[in-house]
Formats: sequence, structure tokens, C-alpha cells
Amino acid sequence: MIRDLTKVYAKLVALDHVSLTVRSGEVVGLLGPNGAGKSTMMKIIVGILRPTSGTVSVSGYDIVQDPEKAKKVVGYVPENPTLYTGLTVKEFLSFVGKIRGVEDAQLASKIAESLKTFSLEEKEKALLGSLSKGMKQKVALIAATLHDPQVLVMDEPLTALDPKTQIFVNNWITSQGKKGTTVLLSTHNLDIVQDYATQIAIIDHGAIVATGGLQSLRELADAGKDARLEEVFLKLTSDSPGA
Amino acid sequence: MSSVGTVITLVRYWIKGRFTRAAALAILLGEGFSIVAVLFVGSTFLSFANRFSLGSGISDAALSLILSLFLVGVVQSGFNGSGLPVSAADVDYVFTSPVKPREVFAAKILMNSFTTVLLSFPPVLALYVRFSFSYGTGFVSALLAGLVTLTFFAMALVLSADVTLSLGSRVSERLKPLRNVLIVAIVAISLIPITLLIPGMPPSVGDLVQVLPSGLAAAISTVLVSGQPWTMVSSIQLFLLLAWLVAFLSLGLRMSRNHFYEVLQVDEPGSSSDGLSGTTSAKLETEGRSVWSVVRGKEEVVMRRTKERRSLLISAIFLAGFMVIYSLSGIFQSSPTSFLLILFIIGSYGSGTASRWLEKERLWIIKTSAIDVRRYVKEVYRARLTPLLLILTPVALAVGIPLILSETGRPGSLLSVLLAIPGALEVASIMMGGGMYFAARYGQSTTDDILSTQAQDLTDIRKFLFQTAINFGLVSPLMGLVLGAGFLASPLFLWGPLLIAASLLYTLVVLNLLLNAAGDSIRRREDL
Repeated sequence: MIRDLTKVYAKLVALDHVSLTVRSGEVVGLLGPNGAGKSTMMKIIVGILRPTSGTVSVSGYDIVQDPEKAKKVVGYVPENPTLYTGLTVKEFLSFVGKIRGVEDAQLASKIAESLKTFSLEEKEKALLGSLSKGMKQKVALIAATLHDPQVLVMDEPLTALDPKTQIFVNNWITSQGKKGTTVLLSTHNLDIVQDYATQIAIIDHGAIVATGGLQSLRELADAGKDARLEEVFLKLTSDSPGA
Repeated sequence: MSSVGTVITLVRYWIKGRFTRAAALAILLGEGFSIVAVLFVGSTFLSFANRFSLGSGISDAALSLILSLFLVGVVQSGFNGSGLPVSAADVDYVFTSPVKPREVFAAKILMNSFTTVLLSFPPVLALYVRFSFSYGTGFVSALLAGLVTLTFFAMALVLSADVTLSLGSRVSERLKPLRNVLIVAIVAISLIPITLLIPGMPPSVGDLVQVLPSGLAAAISTVLVSGQPWTMVSSIQLFLLLAWLVAFLSLGLRMSRNHFYEVLQVDEPGSSSDGLSGTTSAKLETEGRSVWSVVRGKEEVVMRRTKERRSLLISAIFLAGFMVIYSLSGIFQSSPTSFLLILFIIGSYGSGTASRWLEKERLWIIKTSAIDVRRYVKEVYRARLTPLLLILTPVALAVGIPLILSETGRPGSLLSVLLAIPGALEVASIMMGGGMYFAARYGQSTTDDILSTQAQDLTDIRKFLFQTAINFGLVSPLMGLVLGAGFLASPLFLWGPLLIAASLLYTLVVLNLLLNAAGDSIRRREDL
């Protein structure tokens, strides 16, 4: 739950009194033009940035007051994940698993299982620096879910992926939602949001301009009942040059 | 997992990730160079001390001065947010994990200390062994002195981290100016040992230096290395040094209880914001200018915005200071071959400047345009050479003029000195050209790119050695000319201009070859 969240960088207001409630198991698509404040919001939710004011609570834990407990239940896939390129895939995942509190007894099997799911078994001993972008993205997805998070925060997870990998990741995100994981997904891919999101939030100039299901957004944008999300999005963010 | 366990896990994986085979070899090479450099500095210093019949007291003051400069450097980096270096991967994976900020702080301090021990202990030990050898004390004394200096380094790193943390701690707006004053005061106090160089300073200043961490470390190390008796004062000094360390560590642990991640400077490979500030006065004007003028202008603007010029200037000031002290030690009179070293050290700045070139470039833009690549490389070279020469010329003059004045009675030596001054700049120009050729031929753009070719890591190191050897080969005729001039008879006015003209011609020919080869390499590369 995000309440009255504000983030100010020097003179720039990146987030301006944002409030958003996400129920357990929902897949929320967070849409917005470039520079709207999506990444800032996600970085606050996962504990990288601190809010200037307002609160964020994840599964009942406040990210400022109780950061360790909140972080235990969150998984994060950053935009352009930067991995420790000098580690192998297995070393990196072991490292992330350890610092995220996964028990040693489960860690090896979880890594093996995840590598199999993502068809990366043969890359177990490969250095991260030698992997393709798609493979790195898969490793980042595994790293985000090793500790079975209740909430998964994903910042543009489909950027620069080839169509085959995109389809794979789309299906994987859907499976996470079906498993009961709450997913907050920031993306410019409107199709995946239209097809899979149970709630859509549109952010512009640091403020939430619309939130709800596709149908309620259509009504809000005064678009037709069969209007695509793209049309709705453009109408709701029509004054933004980045839209 | 317990806090200690978490810290150990973090450090273990960071070390694993950082010290690849290539990195280990690079460290070994770097240490080899450092050991040679510190032995050279140590010998010069001893020669200076012997010449002026100074005892070990001078090394105490000098060591204190060097350690103070180090302290000032790390405090300044702390103020810039680099007191706790973090990578983008740390942000994405460690900062978003349930690891407590205090555990991150402890692990970073341990990691920094480990890296410092690894990088600095061998050269520091080599320096102290050199001094011990001179004073007739044993290896154990040198080892103990080395450990004391390392304790100082660790303390300085913790202080730097504390300064960074203080930027993010919950200091109210009202108290922030006071905090900034405190940081400036730390820097100013750390610099007090410099005043020892001023003749006639009251002895009380020396006493004050003795309670500062740098003064304490220097005093204890000097006692150990020079074989002076260990007294109660020495024990108190050791206690005080450890007290500084514990105090700064406690302060850091206290401040790291809260979230401090936002103040840290993230070291992001390939980041376009490398060293950039939000605003800049430099502007790239293109209207009415020729394409080559714009190319040079772009290069100048990039160098200005990435603060490359400023760092070059700071390095040059240090280099000039070192060279002047070296020159004052009078070693030139006893060893004319020292000129060669002077030439090479000044010249190595050219190579260093070139090494930053490709990183700032995205050469695909040039390769996909109709521009003449050879000419492009030459124009970039021209733009980068100008500030380098502007900065190195005063350095060469600072060393050269006192030498010219001292050698007026010896025409052979005078000719060598006269040739050495432009010679140093020519060596720098050639080494920069060589550096650009190798950067054009083999250079990678980002750390990621380099790591993606892990299989080639050993090849890269061989290339580096090859580059050094080739550069050395290319500049050796110039160095030979300087050395050989000492054997020439008068008249000076005839040989002087002739040899300078010959060296200039040689430099121009070599540069033309190198830069053409650099342009051709870019044309042939398929990985840009």
C-alpha cells in the first residue's frame, strides 16, 4: 500500500502525493511516459530510495520503519540489471540466495530447478559477463524469485529482449500471478498489461492519473468499450511530450 | 544468518567477483611497478638525506606529509560520496535484500581494507625494507612498520566512509553548515604537516603533528625502521593511533544504523554520467565551424565535462612537486641517466591520457559516417594533446630551469638538459599517440565489454606489456639523443638547434605513422 508518497530530488518533484493500493495476488501494470516517476516509485518500494514523505507498506511492513522485514517479502527485477560480471551464474545466484535468507539446504535445489525452468542449466558455470542480454535478464528474474517473494516488483523486464524470450517472460510473469504472488510491473509493452494485468495504474508527471481495470480506464478516458489500452493511455496522458 | 555471517558472505562473494585471473595478474603487474617506483623514491630520498647530512628525523616529517596527503585525498573522496564505493549490482541486489545497512557498511569497510592491504602492503613493505637496509635494522622492523602504516590506511578509509555517511545521516538543515565546516577542518588539520616544510616554523607545530593520525603513524614507523629505542612515548603513540581507528569505526557503525544508500556514488560501468555534474559552462558550438573544428571542439567539451582536465592538472601538480624535490636532491649531478627516468615518467602521462579516450567514444558513429577516420583520429589527438602539453610544459620547465642554471659551466650536460625539456614533451606526445593506437586497435568501451571477453584476459595483459615495450622502443631514440648529447663537444649553439630539430622531425614522423595506424585499426574493427 502506497500512501501520499512524495519524492523530491533537489528541485525536481519526481513523485507528488502518490497513493496506490494493491491487493494480494494482483498483477498491476504500471504505465507512464518516460520520466513519469515509475522507476523512482519502484526504487522506493524495494528500499533503494527513501521517500521524502508518505509511506509504503509491503505485506504490512513499512519500508522505512521495518525495512528488513519488508525486503524479505519483496523480489526486484531492475531495469537493465547490472550483475556481478566476475561471478558465474551459480555463484551469483548462491550469493543472492544467501543474502536474501534462503536456507542452505534449499538453495542448491532451488537454483538447479530455476536454471532448468529458464533453460540455463548449461550456463551454470559461465561468467555473467559473458552472457547475452536475454540470458542476463533470465538470471535477474531467477535472482528475484529465489526467496519466493510475496511481492514481485519488475521495472521494464522486457526491454531489449528478443520475441521468443519476451513470450517466455510474459508467460512466466503470468505464472507468478497465478501462484498468488503480487506483481507490480512497469512496462511500455501495453499488450502484456492489457492481456494480463488485473489492475492498471497510469502515472504521469509524478502523479497517478488513473487506476483501475481496463474497463474503468476506458470510461475515464471517454474511449469506446472496445478501445485498446494504447488509445486509453494516449488519451489519459495526452499533455505529456513523452507519451 | 547472523550479522557476522552476512558480512562474511558479502565479502567472500565480492572478492570472488572482483579478483578474476586477469585482475590478479593486473594487480601483480601494478604491484611490480609500484615496488619499482617506491624503491626509486626511497633511494632518492635517502640520497637527499645523506647529501644534506640529515638523520631519520627528515623521514619522519616526510612520511607524515605523504600520509597527510593520502588522508586529505580520501576525506575529499568521502565528501564526494565515494567513501563507500558501490557498484550498480550492489544497488540492485544487496540494497534491496534484507541485509542491514550496518552489515553493508561493515562488509564494505572490510572489503576496502582487504583491497588496500593487497594493493599497498607489498610496496609499503618494499619501501620500509629499503629504509631498514639503509639504517641497518632487520626485516621484522620493516614488517612491523608496514603494519602500522596499514593501520593508518585502514583508519583513513574508515574516516572517508564516515564522511560519506555523514552526508546522509539525519543531520538537520540547520546543522549541515556546521558539519561541512567540520569536514573542512578535518582536511585543514590533516594538512598541518605541510607547514613543516616552511623554514622557521615553531617546534610546537611539530608536536601538534605528533597527535594527528598521520604524524603518529609516521613517528612509530620511523622509530621501528630506523632502529631508535622503543620508549613509553612510542607506546602511547601506538595506543593513540589505534584509538583514532576505533573512534572512527565506532562513529561509522553508529551512523550506518540508518538507510544511507542514497548518498553513495555508484560506480556504473559504461555509465554515461561518468564524472558528470548536472550543469556545465562548456558548450559545443557547431554553427559556421568546419567539421574538424567541431570534432576538436567536441573532444574539448567532453574532457572538460568529465573533469578529465582537472584530474590531469592535479596529477601534474603532484608530478611537478615530486620532480622538483627529485631535482633538488641533486641526483642529476651524480647520475646523468636519471634524465631518462624523468623523460619516461613525464611521458607516461601521455599514455594515461590516451587510455581514457576510447571509453568516452562511441566510434560506431564515426565508422558509419563518410568521415575520413585517419583524419578523425589525428584531430582527436590534436584536441587531447593541447591540454596535455599546456600542463606538462610547466612541469618540464620546473625541473629544467634549476638544472640549466646549475649546469651552465658544463656544456655537455647543459646540452642534455636543453634537449631533455622538449624531449619530455615529445616522449609524452609519442606515448599518447601509442596509447591511442592501442586503444583504437584493442580498446574496449566498458568494463562489461572487457569481462565479456574473459577468455582474452591474458591476451589483454600481454597486449598491455606489448604496448609498453613498443612505446618504450619508439621513444628510446629520443632518450638516446638526450643521453648522447652529453658526449658532444661544443659549440652548443650549433648542436642544440640541430638536435632539437632532429628530435622534432622524428616525433612528427612517428606520430603520423601511429595515428594513421590507429585510424586504419578503427576502420578494420568489427566489434565497435
